[in-house]
Amino acid sequence: MTTEEIIKDLNNIFIDVMEDENIVISGATTSDDVDDWDSLNHIHLVVSIEKHFKIRFTSEEIESWKNVDEMIINMQEKGI
Amino acid sequence: MIFKVGDNFLHEFILSKDIYNGFLDTFKDKNPMHVNYNFALDHGYSDIVMHGNILNGFISYFIGELLPAKNVVILSQEIKFNNPVYLNDTLSFYGTIFEIYESVGVINFNYKFINQKNNTVAKGRIQIKKIK
Repeated sequence: MTTEEIIKDLNNIFIDVMEDENIVISGATTSDDVDDWDSLNHIHLVVSIEKHFKIRFTSEEIESWKNVDEMIINMQEKGI
Repeated sequence: MIFKVGDNFLHEFILSKDIYNGFLDTFKDKNPMHVNYNFALDHGYSDIVMHGNILNGFISYFIGELLPAKNVVILSQEIKFNNPVYLNDTLSFYGTIFEIYESVGVINFNYKFINQKNNTVAKGRIQIKKIK
């Protein structure tokens, strides 16, 4: 998948988890930029992303992400 | 992780008078379906119907007391009621882990309650998180 395709899928996951149709994410998006991106929703996001893309992260990988770009790089390293 | 996909759990609950009265006293839901025998009969039931959410209390007990780890919290749960539960029914709870997300410590269960007549009275899913 291209980075743009991944962001499009991720955006839909964010909308679904946060229940907010207005969310638009980019590579630079951080949890500070999305109102409902709290620790609990972060868990739901990771579960949804792992399920959707059929991948598994480690807790170390998740804790290393500083923005969506780093999440995507991590996903691409897993063959997405 | 102490848990693995496919792990099964079984526990028997009896919906006793004490539990019924405790729920009634605590939450004050005295809808006639739950307290009036004739009303329940008139609406097709064979006795007063137990509050469905008593079963959520049993789920709380299962998660809090019966799992092999105590450092867990419930993230979400859903329940579908298939058949009525009556006073003194014996309910067998069957829980099975069907998904684990180790990165975030999330464990998903399917569960069902089956009464002494072998009827499924409720089923659903529970999502818990194992806290570090």
